[in-house]
Amino acid sequence: MRSLLKKLVVGTLLAMTAASAPVLAADVWLMDGVEPRPEGNATVEAGKFKKDGPWVIAMSHFGVNANTWTVQTAHEAQGIADGDDRIGKFIMLDANFDQAKQVADIEDLLAQNPDALIVMPVTSTSADAGIQKAIDAGIPVVVHTGRVENQNFTVDIQGGAENFGKVMGDFLVEQLDGEGKIWVLRGLPSHPEDINRYNGLMQALEGTSIEITQEDHGSWVYDLGKKLCETFYLNDPNVDGIWSSGADMTRACVDVLKQFGADIPPITGEGNNGFFGQWIKEGYPSIVAEYSPSQAAAGVRAAVALLEGKELHKHYIYEPAGWNIEKAKKYYRDDLTANVWWPTELPEDKLQELYGKK
Amino acid sequence: MATQSFKTYFGRNSRQGLWYVPLLITVVGAVILTVYTDDFASPQNLSNLLSQAMPLIIVAIGQMIVIVIGGMDLSVGAIISLTTALLALDAPAFVLVPAVFAITALIGLVNGYSIVKLNVHPIIATLSVQFIVVGFARILRPVAGGSVPDIVVSCVAGTVFGIPLTVFWAVIVLLLGWKLIHGSRYGLHLFAIGGGVSSGQEDAAHNFGISDQRNVILAYVCSALFAALAGFYIAGRISSGDPGVGETFALDSVTAVAIGGTQLSGGIGSLHGTLFGAILMVLLSNGMNLANLSAFLQGAIKGAILLLVVSLQSRKKMGL
Repeated sequence: MRSLLKKLVVGTLLAMTAASAPVLAADVWLMDGVEPRPEGNATVEAGKFKKDGPWVIAMSHFGVNANTWTVQTAHEAQGIADGDDRIGKFIMLDANFDQAKQVADIEDLLAQNPDALIVMPVTSTSADAGIQKAIDAGIPVVVHTGRVENQNFTVDIQGGAENFGKVMGDFLVEQLDGEGKIWVLRGLPSHPEDINRYNGLMQALEGTSIEITQEDHGSWVYDLGKKLCETFYLNDPNVDGIWSSGADMTRACVDVLKQFGADIPPITGEGNNGFFGQWIKEGYPSIVAEYSPSQAAAGVRAAVALLEGKELHKHYIYEPAGWNIEKAKKYYRDDLTANVWWPTELPEDKLQELYGKK
Repeated sequence: MATQSFKTYFGRNSRQGLWYVPLLITVVGAVILTVYTDDFASPQNLSNLLSQAMPLIIVAIGQMIVIVIGGMDLSVGAIISLTTALLALDAPAFVLVPAVFAITALIGLVNGYSIVKLNVHPIIATLSVQFIVVGFARILRPVAGGSVPDIVVSCVAGTVFGIPLTVFWAVIVLLLGWKLIHGSRYGLHLFAIGGGVSSGQEDAAHNFGISDQRNVILAYVCSALFAALAGFYIAGRISSGDPGVGETFALDSVTAVAIGGTQLSGGIGSLHGTLFGAILMVLLSNGMNLANLSAFLQGAIKGAILLLVVSLQSRKKMGL
């Protein structure tokens, strides 16, 4: 009897300990494809930023209205925040790709005493002073979709721009069997994401005989991409492959080549519904480098996890493999416009409201 | 006499422009924000507001000097970017700071010389120079980063006797601007040159013995130096160099000057109007941020309010 009682007490104690144990960093899911960085990672201890709700979560967005992808990131973050009753107030400010405005935005956000701050940095230094002020005030800071020089943030989730560029570059190397002429369509000049994606391409091209014959910035938008490809084609139509840093520029370039009646060489793409539609219809050789706008939702999720008192890693990476056309077919939606980016966490009603063709 | 003085400052046709329109709207806006938001009147936010307004105030004063003479300087944003890029170079402050002001004075000189001696329209001249300057800034620093000398940060972010240094910046810059625009013979000449330009008599000032060419060149040098000062302030705030940080300042400074009652045709305007114009612009951003207006809506609302303010100040004849 005494032995049974002892077992019961020990069992109960063990069960209670297990129930009250903090959620380990490895247990916190932020987004499919987001993993703790394998090397040089630290841990944010459980309970460090635990707070009772309702919470005020502030977010400085680098530029909501720059293109359809950035618009969707804002919707993804807002969607997660709206669906969590513990978030009493979610404040998102748009820096409009202006470094000075991001400095001011973060000051305005901190003046409203948020419980957590999320930053999508315009540049690697635009948020440094704001991050320091927040950390000094005991406010946890989540940084994502852009690196910052001030490493005092609490958690960062980085989309692995080099990986993005390398996935695309490896595809071209394979398709061209290591030799040929390619065009390079880059993103926004001086933007860290553009530079890092390009660095990824350079890594892939190292040791090959692939030559970049024409290269310029299309700023990730359709009309600039179209102008670039028209100029490239008129200058020298001989091209074996095209590395495009964004799906809107890919669509534009394919349209230009079709307009000139040229064959479409291997060309890189991204998880965009408009691109998927064109790719599936035309069937040209391509690959998708994944860069989901749901990273913005993951940022909110990380902020919530910190306020819940969960243990998190300091660094998370998002470096998924490329998609083939079969995977793209599973995601493509003919009833939605070209402006949706995959994968998304937006619910069906929101997708229809924002992107429905009807 | 009193009536004349009143008309000089407040009359609809005052040469100082309708500077009280942005002031009134700023005051009304501040009262509304104080009542309807929790944090607007907090010391922290008011300090933020001044820090955020300071670069625009500085660059707008320089912009006003060239607008008063019937010109425009679209290179100020590029000069700001170049200043931060230069200050983030790996060199001591005693070399960098004088170099920045020498180089920017030279840029102003090129602007003025192109306009006066080569007869290039101010918009084309300063736009061309803007492209050149941005190119240099991007060569010096292709991506934002680096660090500026500690003394630059201390000059901007520090406090003296608990008072933020930004307050001293405001006092010094406004006194300097006041002296230049309203308290000197040079300022009087600027209004005379601009008055002639806006009434279609471009030689009017020259015929009265005013050296219009020299004064115009000097106005562009002043504008460039004020832009460099704004760049210095921004570099201290972001502690780094950024070849794109000044991009919005060219149009923002023109807007602030126009809101402040300075006529883009020249000859009419005031420093205080420019000050209130710049403050109103920053107040709009700050207020909409605190009022949690949708990021999708803010730009549209700002544009509509600015259009309203400028349209309230339309006028058909030259000032007194």
